[in-house]
Amino acid sequence: MDYLGQYKAVFKAKSGCEDVLKKSQDGGIVTSLFAYALEKGIIDGAIVAGPGSEPYKPEPMIATTVEELFAARGTKYSISPNLALIKEATRSYGLDKIGIVGTPCQCQAVRKGQLYPIGLRDVPDKIALVLGIFCMENFPYQGLYQMVEDHCATKMDNVTKMDIGKGKFSVYTERGVNSAIPLKVTHKYEQPGCHVCLDYVSNFADISTGSVGSPDGWSTVFVRSAVGEKVWNDAVKAGWIVAEEADLKGQFGIPMVDKLAHTKIDGNAKTLEARKNGLLKGLKPLRNPYI
Amino acid sequence: MSKVVEISPTTRHEGHSKLVLKVNDEGIIERGDWLSITPVRGVEKLAVGKTYEQVPKIASRVCGICPIAHTLAATEAMEASMGVEIPEDAYLLRLILQAANRLHSHALHDILALPDMYIPGTDTKINPFTPEEPVRSVAKRIQTLRMIGQTIGEIVGGEAVHPSNPRVGGMYKNITPRAKAKIYDLAKQALPLAREQMEFMISVFNNWEKRDWAEMCGREVAIPKEFGYHQQGYMAADPMYGSSSLDEHPTWHPERWLEVRPWDWYMGEEEITLDDPNYPIGGTTKAGAKAWPQMQACTGVPLYDGQPVEVGPRARMSIYKNYDRKGAMGLNVAREMEYMDSVYTMIEAADALNTSGATVADVIPQGTGEIGWAANEAPRGCDVHLAKVRNGKVEWFSMLVPTTWNFPTCSRALTGAPWELAEVIVRAYDPCVSCATHMIVLDEDNKLVAQKLLE
Repeated sequence: MDYLGQYKAVFKAKSGCEDVLKKSQDGGIVTSLFAYALEKGIIDGAIVAGPGSEPYKPEPMIATTVEELFAARGTKYSISPNLALIKEATRSYGLDKIGIVGTPCQCQAVRKGQLYPIGLRDVPDKIALVLGIFCMENFPYQGLYQMVEDHCATKMDNVTKMDIGKGKFSVYTERGVNSAIPLKVTHKYEQPGCHVCLDYVSNFADISTGSVGSPDGWSTVFVRSAVGEKVWNDAVKAGWIVAEEADLKGQFGIPMVDKLAHTKIDGNAKTLEARKNGLLKGLKPLRNPYI
Repeated sequence: MSKVVEISPTTRHEGHSKLVLKVNDEGIIERGDWLSITPVRGVEKLAVGKTYEQVPKIASRVCGICPIAHTLAATEAMEASMGVEIPEDAYLLRLILQAANRLHSHALHDILALPDMYIPGTDTKINPFTPEEPVRSVAKRIQTLRMIGQTIGEIVGGEAVHPSNPRVGGMYKNITPRAKAKIYDLAKQALPLAREQMEFMISVFNNWEKRDWAEMCGREVAIPKEFGYHQQGYMAADPMYGSSSLDEHPTWHPERWLEVRPWDWYMGEEEITLDDPNYPIGGTTKAGAKAWPQMQACTGVPLYDGQPVEVGPRARMSIYKNYDRKGAMGLNVAREMEYMDSVYTMIEAADALNTSGATVADVIPQGTGEIGWAANEAPRGCDVHLAKVRNGKVEWFSMLVPTTWNFPTCSRALTGAPWELAEVIVRAYDPCVSCATHMIVLDEDNKLVAQKLLE
């Protein structure tokens, strides 16, 4: 099993733009890369998880300006079906070069859509930049709501940031009252669909990024494709990104990413195996998506 | 003594049709029957009992060349039956879609028509796929025009083939200002190309009319002076878009329309007595075989004021722009002259479009079973759909499509032409046969059950 996927380089990085960092989740990598790509015309719009009808309920949106992009800063730990817009982006939005950010499963779907464009006529050649994020699992909005409102005893409207790290799910509020619950408590709120996923670090993205493996305020970045490499190097040169050598040895560096990837993928492989052997009641065996 | 020759199937057009021709000793057609032999689609029967949202989507699946015309005609037939008025911006989006479809369809027809034609001033037939100039740049221009038509259709309609955006009550969504700018840019790019293409094609068609002969089956076949002339009338609802029963002054009149059986119209059983193995694509049907047009024709024969009529570019040009050129080349030239109108329509409609405007009607009544019709000027002519909707369900649906009208008219235009060139006349109509196939209901004695459509 390929735990971290193929990559050309790995970095510890953060945005070079103060405005991005003000409200970013960690290093603000996705926002900065898309902002750079938008300004340079590498993409003419990006599909991102924008603000939805309720606080922290993401809704996919197409950002065609840096201002719109900034409105989508920060992680929302719930499902944003970004792929739902990929065709519409080329239609009523009139985009020719699309950027899209997604979880590992969404990056897989983008690549599969490019290979077999069923229902995606004239879309594959218009996907210009795919950014992936690290993902352990995702929560349906009702689950997230319960975690925040009930377990953390915090009103959803007051939350300024949510974070998962160091074994905890933490909620930060405007009033300065922060609460955290152990991740163990959150497990039952996860989407069951996430338990069969064999990808932790978005192996199919051009560039994938996440907080694990870097100090606070920084992100770990895997540069994977030739497209991604060019955008990355240019963005670093232009000052949109500050990149440093990744911590390849330290306990909280890349070994940590590898460890979590093993935790996720090995665990989920067991679920798949159990389903195959009919051990999980009511759940059918699944085809291995990697063959 | 006249002989019978059959060309089956005819080629370089959409669908499946054949020609059964009675010719004299000189090979001149005395009576020609051009008929559809495409299997029945059955869309009209599939539609019964479906919701009004489903039927336009099903109707568009009848064909892949003008699905936009069928979607719009069916959608508007539902709206006409239910009495839905659509917002202005939805109409503008539909208009852009219509013009985009016409642009790409006419360009496609150029590719199909060119191999019959000669490079002006030479005896060389045009092969649109040759890498040599001047044909190469023409082929590239055609593809660019098609790309532009399809891309604009995609932006406005959601899909270039079988558009997803039109809905009963308007359009699902408006477009963004950026998409509007893209449409405008693409149309501007098409403008000089369309003009060059039109001028090139018209000179090629004029050149054909000046010629004395055309090469066919390895011999020189004389082109008669009145090549493809007929004395039938024209029918068109609008120079660009269409009309519906909701209009204050509808331009199509259901009471003038009558549909008769092919049995009364086409030839009876005939034995093939003339064949030519040198005719392109494997020769004509071998002598000794039988043809039975009145039995094999898969279409009804629609009449307007009791006569077959021509629909299509020349009909639109004749009725609305005093165009008066006859014959197969007259029709081809009329089609080319529509290029500019399609492009300017897109530019003007995009200009007028408010991208923040509403595109869905506020109120969508569910229908009381009243009959409604909509005529859409498809690239090939007037496409009329008729519907009855009651409580959201379609009770009755009928499609009266362009090539159905043109079958009997074109059959008459064949008279007087050498049989070897009959297909050139057929191709001038840019036939799209598959949607023209109709379900015919027979009783126990194999007689068509007359359908009383309009009460």
